[in-house]
Amino acid sequence: MIEAQGLTKRYGDLVAVDDVSFSISPGEVVGFLGPNGAGKTTTMRILTGFLPPTDGTALIAGHDIFREPLAARAAIGYLPESPPLYPEMDVRGYLAYVACLKNVPRRQRREAVARAIERCGLRDVHRRVIGALSKGFRQRVGLAQAIVHDPPVLILDEPTVGLDPIQIREIRSLIAELAGPRQAESPHTVILSTHILPEVEAICRRVMLIHQGRKVLDAPLADLIRDGRSLEEIFARHTAREAEAPAAEAAS
Amino acid sequence: MRHTWPVASRELRSLFVSPVAYAVLTLFAVLAGFFFLSAILQFNEYSFRLQQFQLFDRLRELNLNDHVIAPFFDVMSVVLLFLIPGITMGLFAAEKANGTQELLLTSPLTLWELVIGKFLAAALFVTLLVALVALFPGLLFVYGDPELGKTGAGLLGLLLVGLAYAAIGAFASSVTQSQLVAFFLAFVLLLVLWMLSFLADLGAAGGSFGAGTGIGDFLRWLSTSEHFGNLVRGLVDTADLAYFAVVVGTFLLLAKAAVESVRWR
Repeated sequence: MIEAQGLTKRYGDLVAVDDVSFSISPGEVVGFLGPNGAGKTTTMRILTGFLPPTDGTALIAGHDIFREPLAARAAIGYLPESPPLYPEMDVRGYLAYVACLKNVPRRQRREAVARAIERCGLRDVHRRVIGALSKGFRQRVGLAQAIVHDPPVLILDEPTVGLDPIQIREIRSLIAELAGPRQAESPHTVILSTHILPEVEAICRRVMLIHQGRKVLDAPLADLIRDGRSLEEIFARHTAREAEAPAAEAAS
Repeated sequence: MRHTWPVASRELRSLFVSPVAYAVLTLFAVLAGFFFLSAILQFNEYSFRLQQFQLFDRLRELNLNDHVIAPFFDVMSVVLLFLIPGITMGLFAAEKANGTQELLLTSPLTLWELVIGKFLAAALFVTLLVALVALFPGLLFVYGDPELGKTGAGLLGLLLVGLAYAAIGAFASSVTQSQLVAFFLAFVLLLVLWMLSFLADLGAAGGSFGAGTGIGDFLRWLSTSEHFGNLVRGLVDTADLAYFAVVVGTFLLLAKAAVESVRWR
């Protein structure tokens, strides 16, 4: 469903993403881990077509992000780190606008909006102005925005950041639910970026760890925690080793 | 272009839930009323004087178009110069500040659909403003007999000037995420463009500045007030129409490049 080949993003001398390749099959739910500044957001922005990679390319649902950018973008539901909301619009109007931007045919738009409102638990607030909603509800609207066109691929960038524990639990179970079957009867393929490890254990079946722009780990979650190690240990080990390696070289 | 209208209508709706649209409309209506009234009073006073001094030749030349409508349109074009940046400042800057730019650039819509949609919203608002202006000469048609063609040409001029200003304002909004910066950048650009013909006249009077090199002519050609002046005098020339088309096209192209530039970094 997602094929990334040698994705690289350079900003001058800084390499934000360094030769990252992966393949995600339909229905997989992948936890995309890494410390802050590891290149998670940049990778997601490349996949969603917001930024072009310096090198490499990606296929989204069979569409190349360079050759068929519009088709590739139509196949993605994307929740950026800060949900892209218009504070002056009401929830329903906003979702209808997004549905239109995402090429949902006019006749199916009402139904698509109603379904997104239902799935994200927004029924009580669908006439409210977004600017007047609490942070948890805004995050829900952000999720509703990502699924309104029932895309095969969902890319969620730190969806629970800045929420209180109850809201985190709600959003998390919502994502777990969304990772299930879609309208079109095939499940969503989900990439979820986070640095909250329990979140990964709760939702994801596969873990991809990125550190200093490089992919350092890519394995099924079950394999990783089989021998009793915690995800936290694994995370610490992989991010630490990479950081110390250049120092060790310099010393020898 | 199927996303153009949704983008434009969303923009207009946002404009009308914010106080900006109403502030601009109110200010515009008040200023238009004031300047129209003052043009009429001046006209009255002038015609009264001419009668008093029995200058019948001059009195015969006196007409509503040249002495009321043209000066009124002239001053309204200056009012537009102040107010249109207020309408356009949020077009792109607000999207960046909101983070909604990320939604737009990851949605399956082309940059032209976005830029033209935004411009269309501003253009419709400008049309509303020009329609407001048209009401005042409309009154003159009830109580007097101004020339329809000349008045129409003047209104067309005002509309074209407004559209050019909107395109320039859209560009200013596309290069920053601060609406305040967008406002002042647009305002300065418009002011410079408007004053270029005065600069050229200054050169002509002094004789030294760009004399004989055609620079003066070029500056005059660049200036919006020059082309607007022709239309207000009732002169509809394709050269002037082309000028406005070039200005709108150029600045929309620049705006598109500026929106796209987030991808270059």
